[in-house]
Amino acid sequence: MDAQPESGPQSKEPESPNPDPEPYEEIEEDEEPEKDEDLEHEEGEEPKTMTPEARTRKDRANMEALFRRLSTERVPVRVHDVIIKGNTKTKDSLIESEVEAVFRDATSFQQLLRAASLANTRLQDLDIFDSVNITLDAGPPELPGTANVVIEVTEAKNPLTGDLGIYSKPEARSWSLEGSLKLKNLFGYGDLWDGSVAYGWGQTSEVSTGFSIPRFKGISTPLSARISLLSQDWLKFSSYKEQALGLSLGLLSTGNHDLSYNLSWRTLTDPSQMSSHTVRRQLGHSLLSALKYGFKIDQRDSPMRPTRGHAFVSTTQIGGLFPDLRSLRFIRQELDLRYAIPLGFYRAALNFGISGGVIFPWGNGSLNAPSYLPERFFMGGNSSPVCSLRGPTSVLGFKARGLGPAEPRRLVRENSNDGSSSDSGIDHIGGDLAVTAFADLSFDLPLRVFRDAGIHGHIFACTGSLNKLTENAYKGFSLQKFRDSFRSSQDLESLYPPSYSVWSNKIIYYKEDSRCGNML
Amino acid sequence: MEDGGGERERLTLVARKPCFGLPTACPKSLPVYIYLRFSKIPFSLEFNLIHPDSDQIPFVESGDYVAYNNEKGGVIPNLKEDGIVDLDSEVSGIPEWVSIKAMVESWLADAIMYELWVGCDGKSAQKIYYSDLPWPIGKILYFKQVLVVKQLLGITSDNADRREEEIYSRAALAYGALSSRLGEQSFFFDNRPTSLDAAFLGHVLFVLHALPETSVLRSKLLSHSNLVSYAENLKMEYVDANLSSSSVPQSDPSSSASKRVPSHWSSKPRSKAKREKTEEEKKFRRRAKYFLATQLLLF
Repeated sequence: MDAQPESGPQSKEPESPNPDPEPYEEIEEDEEPEKDEDLEHEEGEEPKTMTPEARTRKDRANMEALFRRLSTERVPVRVHDVIIKGNTKTKDSLIESEVEAVFRDATSFQQLLRAASLANTRLQDLDIFDSVNITLDAGPPELPGTANVVIEVTEAKNPLTGDLGIYSKPEARSWSLEGSLKLKNLFGYGDLWDGSVAYGWGQTSEVSTGFSIPRFKGISTPLSARISLLSQDWLKFSSYKEQALGLSLGLLSTGNHDLSYNLSWRTLTDPSQMSSHTVRRQLGHSLLSALKYGFKIDQRDSPMRPTRGHAFVSTTQIGGLFPDLRSLRFIRQELDLRYAIPLGFYRAALNFGISGGVIFPWGNGSLNAPSYLPERFFMGGNSSPVCSLRGPTSVLGFKARGLGPAEPRRLVRENSNDGSSSDSGIDHIGGDLAVTAFADLSFDLPLRVFRDAGIHGHIFACTGSLNKLTENAYKGFSLQKFRDSFRSSQDLESLYPPSYSVWSNKIIYYKEDSRCGNML
Repeated sequence: MEDGGGERERLTLVARKPCFGLPTACPKSLPVYIYLRFSKIPFSLEFNLIHPDSDQIPFVESGDYVAYNNEKGGVIPNLKEDGIVDLDSEVSGIPEWVSIKAMVESWLADAIMYELWVGCDGKSAQKIYYSDLPWPIGKILYFKQVLVVKQLLGITSDNADRREEEIYSRAALAYGALSSRLGEQSFFFDNRPTSLDAAFLGHVLFVLHALPETSVLRSKLLSHSNLVSYAENLKMEYVDANLSSSSVPQSDPSSSASKRVPSHWSSKPRSKAKREKTEEEKKFRRRAKYFLATQLLLF
């Protein structure tokens, strides 16, 4: 008789091992950890004359003895074989490679249970099975101290799933409709194919399709590829529209490291014909061929509302390596550092953060050349820097792209009789050197109804600086000018006076949700 | 930045790239360049190498003011209307001027468009518009543009030959009419340059220099020698002079004749003169043969 608990998608419990082939009662479990049967624990046959109640008491006593023994002694065991059942389409090699390393290192019973739990999680994370059961069975009788692991999977009956939703983007004050279709495990390698469409009213629209594969033959890291057609409308802020047709390949994704390659054809146009001088010079087609390397450590206790820990992210992008030498050549570096200190009351925490970024072109004549406009740094927006780790982009209190260098747009004389010209507005043209910093105090609100809803308060101060370095602007750049370029939220009203020593105080309310910190 | 601001206040023409010995090799940009040279206003020339499919180029800018190609009928009408430069104030009322200009801007413009994108092998178009774009982008945009041009000219696989004949015959008619209107004058009207001269001069220079020697349109134009010499003279006076600075043109025509022609243009005129000479030489040789044959018979 086997006692096998059903494990759902969220289960993280260790599986119970198969007891010896003795008549035991079936044990129904829910979410509790199981440590009941010992593999080597030979139980004698019970005398048939015992009453059912007596038998139950004896069983319970045996189990308690077993628990005591398991928790105090180290029971040595090793895995002899991994048996996979239930996979009709999925390749054995995929499942084995996911769990092999985990079971190979287990040398005691406790380790084996932990390994089983970990293996279960990994297989669930592949997202291609409806359920995963891991059972530990006794090894062959001629090899004592061994166990067999039996993995029974139920493949997803319907490989096609889809979802549709409407999301809000607070920093752009717009909505987007997003839908996606996913096809799982088409070839049995754990491959995931998906197509998605996102339509944002007047902002960003994207159609993309991609696939990802956790491991393929000799390559043990996940690979992914994506083709996307993206259209972004920045007419209101910078008088240009961007279309990009791109292919991105995820080459390496292990632990803290991430390496990807992006090849895209980008077009900047200005249908409004009102752009400023800098934007006019950048309109046209470009080929972006860039390698991107990311390194991330996030030790905070929660990415949405961190109360302790630290995080560090570094992203490096090098453009213009190949295939064509006329593609955009630039180097872009971003750094993020976050630190959270708990204060011990009302779940309050102090969060500090600093982010920096720089972009500059390389190659012949790069000292005079401008940096590519969409790749520059833009600051502003309504997304919180506390939960986003996307570089120096968010400075609360400014409107989207509101901080940094700007140029006047084209002047159109409405009427020669009128004599006056219409207000042309300004284009935000971004900068090459960006630094943002913030200090934030988050706390629970005194009313229980807010606490239960996840609404908490923040008092923050943030500052940012955006400077131009390209086109020989670096020659006139000095420390004094850098200091003078800092703007803080308080300075929203007056644009030009230096803001070196002024901080703002604001109280705003944030609701915890999973879509905090969207990119501008 | 004072220098940057000062540079931006100056009148600037943004056009497509220079090649084939021309200051800008795009048939739409060249007339605007020539018009500004006629007007003797100092301006600087910049190039946009990455937006071949934009109808905003060429454009003229000065500080916050911009005159785009796709507004109000073109850059030249824009400049006239905004009071920057107007060379046509005295001729724009003459019906003949208006109709000749319309003929140049419709029949001859169509002929150039056809010859550049459909008639010839496309090498000129690739060099002018796509040589600075990465290869896959350039190729795709080129094929896209060929389709667009065929649509604009109403060319389908059924009527391709008929349309070609129509376009060439209209161009030939136009050349004939312009040649007889011009005669031996330096300009078409009033012995002074107007936007008609700018448009036609741009057309002729493009056909002569940028189209390959196998071009049908080019050979039709070469048969009118007064048009060719009109173009070459004006080119030497207004376009070749001060090509390096491209800011202040020489106002004294006599000095420009003795001016040394920039080296990267020298090959073109020589080869053309050589070609003409070869044709004349052939004629002379033929006549000489007949003469000798006659003499032999007599003897």
